[in-house]
Amino acid sequence: MTTSALLSPKSKLRQTIGSVLLYLAIIFVTLVTIFPVYWMIVATLQPNKYTLHYPPPLFPQEIIFSQFGELFGRHPVANWLKNSFLIAAMSMLLCTLLTVMGAYALSSLRWRGRSLFGLFLLVTQMLPEVLVLIPLYIMYSRLELLNQLPTLAVVDVAFALPVCIWILKGVFDSVPTEVLDAALVDGCSELSTAWRIVLPLSTPGLVAVAVVAFFAGWNEYLYASIMLGSTELMPASVGLTTLKGLSGVQVEQYMAAGLVFSILPVLFYLSMQRYIISGLTAGAVKG
Amino acid sequence: MRDIADGRADNSTLVKPRMKVAMGIKHRRSNLLPYLLVLPILLYEGVFIISPIVQGIYGSFTSLELASNKPQVWVGLANYARMFDDPEFWQSLKVTLIFTSLVIIIALGAGLLTALLFNRPFRFRPAARALLMIPWAFPEVPVVMIFIWILNPQFGVINVLARLIPGVNENPQWLQVPELAMAWVVLIASWKAFPFYSLVMLAALQSVSQELYDAAKVDGANTFQLFRNITMPGIATTLELLVVLASIFSLKQFSIIFLMTGGGPVGATETIVMRIYNAAFRFYDYSYAAAMGVAGFLISLIIAIVFIILQARRAKEYA
Repeated sequence: MTTSALLSPKSKLRQTIGSVLLYLAIIFVTLVTIFPVYWMIVATLQPNKYTLHYPPPLFPQEIIFSQFGELFGRHPVANWLKNSFLIAAMSMLLCTLLTVMGAYALSSLRWRGRSLFGLFLLVTQMLPEVLVLIPLYIMYSRLELLNQLPTLAVVDVAFALPVCIWILKGVFDSVPTEVLDAALVDGCSELSTAWRIVLPLSTPGLVAVAVVAFFAGWNEYLYASIMLGSTELMPASVGLTTLKGLSGVQVEQYMAAGLVFSILPVLFYLSMQRYIISGLTAGAVKG
Repeated sequence: MRDIADGRADNSTLVKPRMKVAMGIKHRRSNLLPYLLVLPILLYEGVFIISPIVQGIYGSFTSLELASNKPQVWVGLANYARMFDDPEFWQSLKVTLIFTSLVIIIALGAGLLTALLFNRPFRFRPAARALLMIPWAFPEVPVVMIFIWILNPQFGVINVLARLIPGVNENPQWLQVPELAMAWVVLIASWKAFPFYSLVMLAALQSVSQELYDAAKVDGANTFQLFRNITMPGIATTLELLVVLASIFSLKQFSIIFLMTGGGPVGATETIVMRIYNAAFRFYDYSYAAAMGVAGFLISLIIAIVFIILQARRAKEYA
């Protein structure tokens, strides 16, 4: 405020124009970013006589909620969501357990091969899923492990684990070494230091890992589409893509299904974004 | 949280005598502990990632038909010879290069611009930032559902914009024209990815010292000079890392392309990853798919090594 009072009228005008441009740019960016999501919500909420019209109205003309009931009543969406939930919950439990072990070894312990282990995780994190898919599919079909939810969850964990370990390593790193040293001096072993000091101080990081592992299973499409053939076991990510081909599915039901599927990952990812980003960049960048 | 930690600490004083005994053998145990912790992870990744890759490499030298009961026969370099003579393989490498470069340019460009915008203070910044991250948090399958609807040739809202362009008198077949289909998979992948890059760059921008800007302003530097001589050098290492990360992420990209176009029309969006998938699961050509998989593996390994080198350099800079 005080600086602008000192400025000449001309530079004051320039400042005003600058801030107007800034706000215009921000509005433009935000619109481009969220318009597709807004459009999905509009297509969900209004009766399809408005949606199936060209040019489509930009704002919902009338709001209905019956599509949700019809969607769940006529299509096995509840079963898909249940399958997704089971895969996700199993991935979460297994992945969190392994992540705690790996992150503690990578962050708090000194041992030969530590940086090699870090590199190993980094490289596995960077391999395209498709490369592993074919041999794994052949192995699974020979061992008759296809068409089971737990064997799919186990694969999802393999791909989520490196990112999760990087996330939790970053969190463990931020526990002050004085605290660890004090615990060791007090006679805690390394394992009990982990259990009594590091883990309780890292609760947000643990939550972030659980979120990433859960939604890795929830969102995953490629492996689920190949490894689960039966419609009974179909998770929602795969189910959604079949919905369009089913007869009698209205646009608003289809979009409602997409929205129901997305709401949990969006909420949880947004609340944990800081941790997830530091994990995705393998600790190179703290988000 | 602190309460829990304190409570546990109180507990530990109760069991102290036992701990002291444990300390006597601590030295020997602590040498083993990290290996015990890491071993299950190595086994796990070994079984589900490394061994399939090794099997894939082996499979690329054989001929394998899953449906028939023929045994797997060693065919040497036959699959590779076929690959080098296959114009569709080279085409898929070209498509991968185009897709990856365009996503890097557009997603990182948009990420940098929004990071610069969001680096300025303005009203509602926290709310706008949360909205900005939504595409990144959205699962891929529903993202594809939205865009297929937006691009619908009959009712899609994008046609309203397209019709504003002079000369466009009917709704384009967005995903049937090769160039348009490529443009859209690039745009959608970029739309989904740019918030992530933007947030990372924002963190880098905020770590550039404000004093440098103030000093340069006193010396009469204009906005462009500030950007070129202070901002860019300040975030250069982060940008480098992001270029490598973006190439890895777009090389891995499967679901968006698969569900939008399946690699079509006529192979226009068939990246190497899509080509491998189609060879294996549409044409049941496993051994050939495995050979292309080895090519894909080498490409991602090279990028991963570049990432590791950059990161090591960065770590040195900060040390």
